[in-house]
Amino acid sequence: MKFLIDLTVNDEAYQLEVEPQTTLLELLRNQLHLTGTKEGCGLGDCGACIVLVEGKPVNSCLMLAVDAKGREVVTIEALETNGQLHPLQQSFLEKGAVQCGFCTPAMILSAKSLLDKSPRAGEMEIKEALSGVLCRCGSYKKIIAAVLAAGGEKGERNEE
Amino acid sequence: MKNEYVGKSVPRIEGIEKVTGRAVYSVDVELPGMVYGAVLRSPFPHARIVEIDLSEAKNSRGVKAVVTGKDFPFNFGGMIRDQPFLSMDRVRYVGDPVVAVAANSEAEAQEALGKIRVRYEELPAIFDPREALAEGAPLIHENLEKYGRSGPYQSVPGTNVCTLRTYSLGDVEAGFAGSDELFEDEFYVHAVAHTPMETHAAVAQYNPTENHYTIWSATDGPYRRAKELADALGISLNQVRFISTYSGGGFGGKGAMVAEVIAVALARFSKGRPVKVVYTREEELTASQTRHAAYMKLKTGVKRDGSFTARKAEIIWDNGAYASKGPDVAVRGGLTIFGPYRIPNLELLSRLVYTNKEPAGAYRGYGTTQVAWACEIQMDIIAQRLKMNPLEIRLKNGYRENDTYINGQIMHAVGLGETLERASREIGWGRPHSRPQDNRFRGKGLAAMIKGTATPTESSCFIKVNPDGSITLLSSTVEIGAGEKTVLAQIAAETIGVPLDSISIPNPDTATTPFDTGVTSSRTTYHMGNAVRLAGQEVRKKILELAGEILKTQPSRLSLARAKILEEGVGERLTLKELLLKKFGGRGGTLLAEGRFSPAGSSLLAASEGREAMSSIFWMFATHAVEVEVDAQTGAVKVLKIAAAHDVGKAINPLGCEQQIEGSVIMGLSNALFEEFKMENGRILNDTLADYKVATIKDLPEIVPIIVEIDQPGGPFGAKGIGEPAAACTAPAIANAIFDAVGIWIKDLPITPEKVLAALDRKKSS
Repeated sequence: MKFLIDLTVNDEAYQLEVEPQTTLLELLRNQLHLTGTKEGCGLGDCGACIVLVEGKPVNSCLMLAVDAKGREVVTIEALETNGQLHPLQQSFLEKGAVQCGFCTPAMILSAKSLLDKSPRAGEMEIKEALSGVLCRCGSYKKIIAAVLAAGGEKGERNEE
Repeated sequence: MKNEYVGKSVPRIEGIEKVTGRAVYSVDVELPGMVYGAVLRSPFPHARIVEIDLSEAKNSRGVKAVVTGKDFPFNFGGMIRDQPFLSMDRVRYVGDPVVAVAANSEAEAQEALGKIRVRYEELPAIFDPREALAEGAPLIHENLEKYGRSGPYQSVPGTNVCTLRTYSLGDVEAGFAGSDELFEDEFYVHAVAHTPMETHAAVAQYNPTENHYTIWSATDGPYRRAKELADALGISLNQVRFISTYSGGGFGGKGAMVAEVIAVALARFSKGRPVKVVYTREEELTASQTRHAAYMKLKTGVKRDGSFTARKAEIIWDNGAYASKGPDVAVRGGLTIFGPYRIPNLELLSRLVYTNKEPAGAYRGYGTTQVAWACEIQMDIIAQRLKMNPLEIRLKNGYRENDTYINGQIMHAVGLGETLERASREIGWGRPHSRPQDNRFRGKGLAAMIKGTATPTESSCFIKVNPDGSITLLSSTVEIGAGEKTVLAQIAAETIGVPLDSISIPNPDTATTPFDTGVTSSRTTYHMGNAVRLAGQEVRKKILELAGEILKTQPSRLSLARAKILEEGVGERLTLKELLLKKFGGRGGTLLAEGRFSPAGSSLLAASEGREAMSSIFWMFATHAVEVEVDAQTGAVKVLKIAAAHDVGKAINPLGCEQQIEGSVIMGLSNALFEEFKMENGRILNDTLADYKVATIKDLPEIVPIIVEIDQPGGPFGAKGIGEPAAACTAPAIANAIFDAVGIWIKDLPITPEKVLAALDRKKSS
């Protein structure tokens, strides 16, 4: 049995046929070929597959595609507009927050979700918001610096 | 002249692809007609395969190929060819591949696996390499001496010893007799999982008319893998093509064929269809490769003034079921157990032993994370008994400029002393501790390390100047995440005299990019860096000769900077683009230069007769200084601060060096405090990332990377390497800090609260 669902991905409306067991991750990678979203474990442990659903970070390997019906999904591919990097993408680059890059899309999207609601997030908040994404290259220190730099002005942190 | 790009923290050149999600990793490769592979693995640690019934699986929906070891009866292995692509008549660990299936979808491949029936006859299994060494132990590889070997790896027929290495210098017994104090300690380092965020994956396509394989993979050494595959199948190198993708982390784990062998075996029987194999996280943790567990015994003789007289070391490396890169880990890693210290008499017995477990392979540091644990903790044990400061005893015995390595090589660019001084200063070494609060005690610890690089090895590249003056660098250096492309682009831009952003570096493809030994042994910056420097000089020379011809002047009066041709006393004459247009006209043409580098034959490698093979073209040194807090009630260890000082020769890109140092520190901390395989009868029980814990962003301590620059002779701009050393010192520095805090030695990894509490109890009762 297949289901027909409507959803919005990166501001584009789609009507797609999905199996009941298809995950949002599979839909994005296999049906829409948006391969910037990565699978690191398929069990919700590593966070590499995080995308934004209604602005909130979600492990797309744990969400069924049918549950994304009618929702708005944002993946890493949407952040660059007209050849301009998003401030978080720019900041990750400049601060050296990227090594192998496999966790980078999930880190950036998790940070975006945080800064969208809390632009002046301090270090503790950033750690909390990004704690669902594993980075084996160990870029954590520079990732925090990148998110801080992309957020509010210096000296305006929530915690300080 | 001041450098324009070298020494600058420029953002990595492939970073835009990564922050936008466009970078293609092995898991992202999609090809027309592609089918998907899955593997049925052994549920037993050691068994004979009696019968395999494939009838139902072959008829399962969507199935395109079902392959067993009988269909594809080849062994592979970069050093010792002991590992079958698919088990032939015997399985040697829980997870050994038995049957591979390719189908139209992953789900259909999985479904078919469920329909395969295999009858096994269990054999006695061994999980402890010390038991595997015992007389009469069941043999995991019968006739192991018959395996093809690609190096001088000694075999010991009729045993479970995969290979062994002995080494001696001077007379240890005389050294012990002449000592004032003798120290005998045993240490254990556990196996850990590399845990790259991208699991092993590969796509393979077979062309039956030419008996040719194309493989897309994130392996760190495409040329070495191509040779391993050609050797295994008995075909020539031009029948094998490796195309590199970006790599979602490797840390040594992608330094062998893993998913590649399954994809290749399936491709052979899939009628030309490309076959994609992506390991699940469970397979990554249980059926790829691990760090070698190691049992180490050290006996060290010391004079009352803290100088060494002798050391005898014995190492038993747990190789798991197959050799992989273990033979070199046991040899080269084993030798560094003498540490970065002058010891006049020494003896080593290093044995690599098969067990019925997941194979162990190269792991960031290539044996140094194991031996540094033993060497550096015993340093502190010695210092404590002699009532010496751990910093002083290291400075007293540590290698200095022009000291002689254990094979007689004279060492240059020895930055050990500066790493010791700067790391210890950063954590306030020698200053009194803050008072314990609520049973929480603070302590500080140090650990140093030495590592060489595989020598001699080879790197080649081509530099192509395109008609518009943009530059393409063709090299087989894989961007495994360590910033390789950026460092090479910086060296190229600096040497040629063109802007950094005019240089592009495609990912390697053995059909087009020239030879490189691989991204291994912290060798890329030095070796490929030198090849790029040589090619850059050559292409610059060609450009200036061409400019001389066009401008009708002596090339010696010309120079190239930021892609502009300058003439002495005149100034800017024309741009590189204009020059090429003048030469080639509107239809275009290219300039090409080759750079080839190997340190073979370098006078820097001279050593005692017959011992030259142990020389390294450069030596890396590091010190980590750590402050911890130990909770004496719970046994919990919290790392507060780590200062990590690394002698990199010259930081081509300081930001990249910091990434390597900080990342390795977190990895070292994670290995030491959080990670451990839980096993039951050979089965790994914690096969998810929920149960196999690696450090998260919340586990981040304060890390201070310190870059020490001691100009390396022969290095490009004086550089050496940085990829591996940082992983080695973190764990022993933590252990030494724990002793400083609460007076207990933890000698076996990982450091768990249970072990800390047990040691505190023993201390109380003694």
